[in-house]
Amino acid sequence: MGTEIVKKMGYSGKQIFALTFLRVLIGWHFLYEGLVKIYTPGWSAGAYLEGATGPFSGLFKNLAQQDVVLSIVDLLNAWGLALVGFGLFVGLFSKACKIFGILLLALYYMAYPPFAGLDQNVVAEGSYWIVNKNLIEIGALVVLLVFPSSYITGLDKYLSEVKNMISGRNKK
Amino acid sequence: MNVLRRDFLKGLATIPFLGYFAFGFKNNITKGISEKSKDYQKVLGIGELEAPRQKLSPSTAHDEKRIRIGVVGNGWRGERLLNTLGFAHPEALEESRVEGQLTGRLKNYEGYDDLNVDFVGVCDTFEVHAKRGGEFIPFKQEGIEKGNKKGSPIKVFPTYREMIASKDIDAVIIATPDHTHASIAIAAANAGKHVYLEKPMTHTIEEAIELRDTIKQSDIVFQLGHQNRQQMSFKIARELYEKGVLGTVTMVQTFTNRNTVFGAWIRDKAFDHHLGNKNNINWKEFLGKAPWHEFEHKRYFSWQRYSDYGTSVTGNDFTHRYDCVNQVLGLGIPETVVALGGQYYYKGYGDMPDVLSAIFSYPEKGLTMTYDGTLKNEVYRESRILGSEATIDIDGAILMYKDKQSEKFKDIKIDPSDPMYYYAPSTDIDAISTATSRAFMKGGFGPTFIDGKVIDGTYLHLREWLDAIRGHGHPSCDIDQGFEEAVTFNLANLAYVHKKPVRWDKSNEKVIIGG
Repeated sequence: MGTEIVKKMGYSGKQIFALTFLRVLIGWHFLYEGLVKIYTPGWSAGAYLEGATGPFSGLFKNLAQQDVVLSIVDLLNAWGLALVGFGLFVGLFSKACKIFGILLLALYYMAYPPFAGLDQNVVAEGSYWIVNKNLIEIGALVVLLVFPSSYITGLDKYLSEVKNMISGRNKK
Repeated sequence: MNVLRRDFLKGLATIPFLGYFAFGFKNNITKGISEKSKDYQKVLGIGELEAPRQKLSPSTAHDEKRIRIGVVGNGWRGERLLNTLGFAHPEALEESRVEGQLTGRLKNYEGYDDLNVDFVGVCDTFEVHAKRGGEFIPFKQEGIEKGNKKGSPIKVFPTYREMIASKDIDAVIIATPDHTHASIAIAAANAGKHVYLEKPMTHTIEEAIELRDTIKQSDIVFQLGHQNRQQMSFKIARELYEKGVLGTVTMVQTFTNRNTVFGAWIRDKAFDHHLGNKNNINWKEFLGKAPWHEFEHKRYFSWQRYSDYGTSVTGNDFTHRYDCVNQVLGLGIPETVVALGGQYYYKGYGDMPDVLSAIFSYPEKGLTMTYDGTLKNEVYRESRILGSEATIDIDGAILMYKDKQSEKFKDIKIDPSDPMYYYAPSTDIDAISTATSRAFMKGGFGPTFIDGKVIDGTYLHLREWLDAIRGHGHPSCDIDQGFEEAVTFNLANLAYVHKKPVRWDKSNEKVIIGG
């Protein structure tokens, strides 16, 4: 496992700072997006899904057209974002959070893929072709996935210590 | 020990930051959210909007006897209207079917409530289209799946005169060239047949007066084919206007742009028009009251471009936009109209201008309406209504912007270039703006959203007419609305032809050229 090697070799002070910094930034981005949705009365992803473009647009539009499905999607999206964000920020269940975060970002990416010839969201700032901010954030999460920091600067540290203690005791 | 403790505490390194962020969120950002998600009615200072909550009236179709319909003019539009009612040519049905199921437009029509009508008669001055009309089959009625059972027999009449004389016809749909609208509609009304007349209403103002008087004296139900009467966006905009949200409206801007040969109504090579010739076109009947001219293929199939038969870009395109803003503001007929433009590009096809700008002055209302149309550019422009408090861009959707100097909305903290209210028809969202609202403004006037359903405007418009024939409700584009449309665009055409301002003498119902 790559991450095991990383853990054995350890990080320099600057490295652990940089990785933690990036984790906190992405964590707050997710947490804030989630909290805004949770706190906004009547928020729904319906309009966003209805406007989806690209090869998977039919799938996203279908989600929006069924009330029950849409309310589940809304719940998963808002709370998913908030929990992933919280997890990354404090470094708790960090690996699972990164994987779920990548999954969420991939869905946003596919709902409005920056491919040639597709109607883009006209208010999106900047110019994109294939690579957009969602894809870059996916990339950053992939980096964090293979260079974990939460076992040093996160609550996962205590989880792994507790786990080690238990396994140590069992070995005895 | 100290080193150990420091190492231990590292795991909590980010917690203080979370505290800081969360504190900030609670104190500042939640306030921002509640500001943003304020109830739009409170923000706009209006009560609940009624239009978006409008319910579809229950269908009257099944309570009463079938209405027997004849179609005069089975061209492109005539066929579309028949499709909407649930009738199609077997070949069109075959083309639409994928694995036995209808697709696209026809599939939508199939899903709508049956309107309980029979298509029983057709006539067309082009023999090929008349014959095709006679072959239509209903595709919504039970037992007629896959075209294996014919509906009621469809009689092909030689002209509209025989059709309206027939006792087997209750109502007619007229989708013929503009110069024949008035004579056919008047004859039908005099014969007691209900009339659905395609827009624009008439070729001249004199015809509009005669048709209006005829309809008023008759007992028939008349509907002009401005299906955008059914668009929810205009109903909402009317309510916003009536509730004073826009303030004083001083200017209305309308536009239509096209940039194709087909779009410029040069259509003698389009569709099946190559099949037409002197022997299968009733040229004399087509000419009607128009000045005599020898048979000419392109005159027949590109008739819109000849002022002897068509009504120019104003009749074809501007009337749509006019009828839309007329619904919102109740504009009526302007007092004075000027229009300038010319035929610069598509020469040799009639006398229709390619580029036209017109100004319609309404001194009594304190406003001016403008129209710009070109046939050499296809940029999309919504209609714009400029009020002292707010401006709206409107088509099937609405974007409303507060005016920079607005008194009414001075407390609303929003950049005047960002919409403060929008209505997005595809999602039935009417709300305070979000950053993505602009993306909904895709334009167009296809289906509308009513009572939780997305329904084609033309279907609703025909249905409204049929309901009114059965004694329920009133057509929304009745003869009075049609009269306003016909006089308004014809004034612009007269101003263009005479290159002079044209005034409408309201009390005498007369046009004063150069007035």
